[in-house]
Amino acid sequence: MDPAGVFATSFERDQALIRTRGQWIALALFLIALLVLPHVLGPRLVAISTNMLIMAVVVIGLQINMGYAGQINLGQAAFMGVGAYATGALAIKFNLPFWLSIPLGGCAAALFGFIFGLSAVRIKGFYLALTTIAAQTLFHFLILNLPQSWFGGSNGLTLQPAQIFGFSFVSDTSIYYLCLAVTVAMVFGAYGIVRSRHGRAFVAVCDDDVASGLMGINVVRTKATAFLIGAFYAGIGGALWAYYVRFVAVDQFTLFHSIWFIAMVIVGGLGSITGALIGVFVIKAIQESFVTLGPSIVAQFPSLGGDVVFALMNVFLGGVIAAFLIFEPRGLMHRWNILKRSYRLWPFPY
Amino acid sequence: MIDFINYLINGALVGLLYALIAMGFVVIYRASKVFNFAQGELVVFGGFIVWWMVASMGLPLWVGLPLAFVAAALFGLLVERVFFSRLAGESVFAMVMVTIGLLILIRGLILVLFGPQVRSFPIIFPLQPVIIGDILIPRSLLVGGVITVIVGFGLSWFFNRTRAGLRMTAVAEDHQVALSMGISVKRSIAFAWILGAVLSTLGAVIFLSGKSLNFLASDIGLAALPVALLAGFEAIAGVLLAGLIVGIIQGLVTAYLDPIVGGAIGTVFPFIIMLLILFIRPTGMFGWKTIERV
Repeated sequence: MDPAGVFATSFERDQALIRTRGQWIALALFLIALLVLPHVLGPRLVAISTNMLIMAVVVIGLQINMGYAGQINLGQAAFMGVGAYATGALAIKFNLPFWLSIPLGGCAAALFGFIFGLSAVRIKGFYLALTTIAAQTLFHFLILNLPQSWFGGSNGLTLQPAQIFGFSFVSDTSIYYLCLAVTVAMVFGAYGIVRSRHGRAFVAVCDDDVASGLMGINVVRTKATAFLIGAFYAGIGGALWAYYVRFVAVDQFTLFHSIWFIAMVIVGGLGSITGALIGVFVIKAIQESFVTLGPSIVAQFPSLGGDVVFALMNVFLGGVIAAFLIFEPRGLMHRWNILKRSYRLWPFPY
Repeated sequence: MIDFINYLINGALVGLLYALIAMGFVVIYRASKVFNFAQGELVVFGGFIVWWMVASMGLPLWVGLPLAFVAAALFGLLVERVFFSRLAGESVFAMVMVTIGLLILIRGLILVLFGPQVRSFPIIFPLQPVIIGDILIPRSLLVGGVITVIVGFGLSWFFNRTRAGLRMTAVAEDHQVALSMGISVKRSIAFAWILGAVLSTLGAVIFLSGKSLNFLASDIGLAALPVALLAGFEAIAGVLLAGLIVGIIQGLVTAYLDPIVGGAIGTVFPFIIMLLILFIRPTGMFGWKTIERV
């Protein structure tokens, strides 16, 4: 709900993403904070932030696919991997500049995802989720068994840094800005998609596919489109990853990574782009603080051993996912909305 | 020719092992309508319980094994108490997502409790293979196959012929309808998880006997997925046939196609089968057909 005194008098106003001056200021401050961040934080935190930005792109794709269109996708990491490998191969073989290879990597992933989305013609629900597990296995098999000259097989791909006008994105800071620019563009794109005709079709199909079919929505095409868009986002994320790490290998894109992406969507809140961003931030921050605090915990209790930290992180996060599904299935975003509503209404109960 | 028969028999027996693991999926689905993504983790957890009882605590086999099954049953009950009893009546979507959370949780739990080291699993079945003429059969798989067939038909009889089994079947059909018929969905789900955990432990015993064990063995859960799908998630005895089919195809493909393609096709082939099933007949061979009236 809007704060008091804000009324939408036209459809455009009603659909606007930013509705009050306060929101403009908050957004501007947030973007400025993101811009100055690499100059304030140390190199490790900048690396984590870059990582979060890349994850954010991938998870937003999953959010559109899963949160909006309701198609469970356990293959997002595979789609990301397809993007990374396509970008890597294009950059190495054809010497394409990054501003071409990144979108093309996204398109390759989108095609791969679309093929699996097409299975929605025949199947739905959890059966559809199973095809995405098959996508994960097939991706691994294909990369490892296609001729080594194509995708490097088990050796992986090593990339040159992205270059433009003689400037190469080598330093952590420069790659951070590259990722930031792409992520901001993709986030705004996502807001556009979910507000559009397609986004409303996604929500309708998610709520009830029979009813939405009766209303004239092409259900199969909508589901396939959801996979297409979700996989495109994953591909862009993978492409950024390829330029960030400059080394692409299969074990960076396992089923477990896909599950982490799902965890981020659930914790952030299904059906909200902002929720996806929050989910990425929270889960990644918890993971990284475990990694950072791990050595000191082990130093305190040497009997535990170093692996326990990683294991405890799994226990904690698995518990967090289950707890969210049991106590707050709509995620942190829903909590935040409740809070916002209550302070806007204060001192009135409703 | 003798090679071919060898591949055939071994493939069939491995298929029956898959069928036993797949039965874990099917039993949980059949009594709660939840698709359990954490099946592989349940198998590894069961394996570690057996290892802990028999190898670590040094109990004799005839004490340790039954104790391990009891512990697995308690673990299944615990999972249901902590997670699923609170979700009864909620959407099935949430429950399935919880199993994804469980997958991460149990994997972490295994690492915390038992560590990441590779352990040698106790030898439950003697290691010498059974030799008939020129045919070599691993003893654990042979005994396991017999157990699987017995368990399969037993469970099938239970779910299709007894009153208690039919009640659970109603839960798999629709939670709300079952509730309004006076059937306790909670109890059914609890039973499903106990049975699922026990079956997984049984699968672990047969799968791991005399082998090495660490948390990566959970891949068997995914490998069993195509079997459950081919049979249809509601068919218990059908899993046996589906396991035989998938196992034999995988065995032959590994033997004859792997040298041509350069390895690993044997592990992917079940998933290719799975994709084909999903496209051609998503309900599997014996699954219930759902009719949607529009």
